[in-house]
Amino acid sequence: MRLLIIEDEPGIAGFLKDGLEEEYFAVDVAYDGKSGLDLALTNEYDLLIVDWMIPALSGIEVCRQVRKAGSLVPILFLTAKDTLEDVVFGLDAGANDYIKKPFEFEELLARIRVQLRTKNKADDSLSAGSLSINPATHQVFAGSCEITLTPKEFALLEYLIRNKDRVCTRSRIIEHVWDIHFDSDTSVIDVYITFLRRKLEAAGCGNLIQTIRGVGYIVREPGMV
Amino acid sequence: MSLRNRIAFYYTIATAFLIAIVFTTIFFMVEKIVYKQFDDQLKKEIAEIFADSNISPDNFQGFEDFKNNIDDEEGRIDNNYERKHKKDKLKVDTEFIQLVNNSGEVINKSASLSWCVLAFNPRQSGTSYFTNNFGGSMVRQAQVPLTNPQGVREGYLIIAVPLKNALIVLHDLRDIFLFSFPVILLPLFLLTRSIAIKSISPIEKVIATAEKMSQSNLDERIPLPFHHDELYRLAATINALFGRMQDAFQREKHFTADASHELKTPLAVVKGTLEVLIRKPRDREHYETRIQFCLKELNRMARLIDQLLMLARYESNKMTPHIMVTALSPLVENVVERMIPTALTKGISITFNQADSAHIAVDPGMFDMILENIISNAIKYSSSGSTISIEIKHDADNVVCSIIDQGIGIPEEMLNAIFERFYRVDESRSSSTGGLGLGLSIVKKLADLQQIMVGVTSATNQGTTFTLTCPHAG
Repeated sequence: MRLLIIEDEPGIAGFLKDGLEEEYFAVDVAYDGKSGLDLALTNEYDLLIVDWMIPALSGIEVCRQVRKAGSLVPILFLTAKDTLEDVVFGLDAGANDYIKKPFEFEELLARIRVQLRTKNKADDSLSAGSLSINPATHQVFAGSCEITLTPKEFALLEYLIRNKDRVCTRSRIIEHVWDIHFDSDTSVIDVYITFLRRKLEAAGCGNLIQTIRGVGYIVREPGMV
Repeated sequence: MSLRNRIAFYYTIATAFLIAIVFTTIFFMVEKIVYKQFDDQLKKEIAEIFADSNISPDNFQGFEDFKNNIDDEEGRIDNNYERKHKKDKLKVDTEFIQLVNNSGEVINKSASLSWCVLAFNPRQSGTSYFTNNFGGSMVRQAQVPLTNPQGVREGYLIIAVPLKNALIVLHDLRDIFLFSFPVILLPLFLLTRSIAIKSISPIEKVIATAEKMSQSNLDERIPLPFHHDELYRLAATINALFGRMQDAFQREKHFTADASHELKTPLAVVKGTLEVLIRKPRDREHYETRIQFCLKELNRMARLIDQLLMLARYESNKMTPHIMVTALSPLVENVVERMIPTALTKGISITFNQADSAHIAVDPGMFDMILENIISNAIKYSSSGSTISIEIKHDADNVVCSIIDQGIGIPEEMLNAIFERFYRVDESRSSSTGGLGLGLSIVKKLADLQQIMVGVTSATNQGTTFTLTCPHAG
């Protein structure tokens, strides 16, 4: 899952990036509204975390422009403005949620998970066949047996399973699982896919990830071939 | 009592007083006119009596003579049918004639008096007219002294006419006045009250608007009345007051929002950094850099709180400057010496021309703080290799201390705002320069307390000059 943080305070952007990357997110940071908007419109993000008071373009304006461009990406407002009017104004501008500074990092994570939760599902858990993933704890189970994955492997698997039954192109995988500082050499995907397949096979769900030659990969629910 | 009732009440009282005076005057004038007519009638009668009896009051020959003349007079009247007829029918027109000697003994009297006697006033030596109660009804009386040719007074001729008709008129007049008095005053009170209500209706609007005003709704304004009168001025003045209040609230709200942002941000940074840090075990170096970072943020926060408290203390005027006459050069030198190490670490030099002996009346501690703030700003916004020069100049009235830097400068349109709390030309509030946005507010506040004028001129990318102008003190 790839996030964009638009926050001018380097301290906050810093720990958010650190903390979120530890949670297997790919994180990009923009320090002002203008560059943040450019990034948000040119890349595909799964979630935006936007501060209200940022230079060049306010968080509200960024939010409006993103919505105007037709994007439905979840937007989390992160700000020290805390009056009722501010909250309402922010949400009305197109934000999905609103977190007041100072906030608990755990709460932020939970709220991010809520925004990423697949529609029509009561909880965060993702599954494909006998494989199930808990994004909150970063645990992967094949049946009742836990599979240990590295953060990148986990992120890759999570992305594929979130987009279950859809073809994930190599460029989209790169965009959503790796951050912007990664050069677009997609061969790294193949390496991680190989690692993943090896671990899944050992746990008994070997055929989960299928290759669509020349395009990318797909996870199919078994029996829906 | 409400204002409108009070206005109506006072107005009515004043009018009642005036009307009472007017009525009384009219009444007494009418009374006087009526009596004068009676007096004229009496005068005519007296003249007739004297003419009929061929005597004059100053050539009186004795009562014997006169006795017949009175009878004659009676006879004369008797002969006059008209008069007689009138007399029978309307007794009111009857005249009474009476002669008395000096001691008041009745010598002779007209038949109309029958057994009655007209009152005699011995104190009156000349001809006199007065009103008298005669047998239960009022009469107007004239008393004429009768003197013999030698000038000795022998007695008096007293003649009287009844006042009954005239008194009826006068009593009616008095009754009309007494009746019309309240009849005028009551409608007057009601009328005045309604006029008062109409006149003060703009005040009601003022009250209604003021009642609607609250801290959250300061947009209401009083509608200005049509006429440019006192109420118009009242409304305009109150509107202006509302405007100032709104500005003040707005500034306060802005300040609170800024202050909370400035305080919450480092708090959020420290909290977040530590929360992320504690989630997983890390190596020593990682801990150290994060904790160092947090300490830096906390120090910044502590400085901010210090400055906020200082501003708050100055603004509540709890700090009064201890003004004393001080030489300016040593003051500046002190600060410069303190700031040089900081400047040197950034590769900036500070020059100061010391050749001035000017003295100023300031609080040295506060002046020190002003200088330190301005110089540290100059260091903050100057690049390596530039020079900050401090100059003191003076003329007959003022001493001017200028702090000139070659830094990034301030855009002209922002010059006015730099003294506002939390205002920073670089609006990104990022702490790269380490500024808190309160330094110049404190400078301004301190300068105001000591009657020092702070001026600033600037050119972008060429530098900024701050001038402190204070009155010469010996």
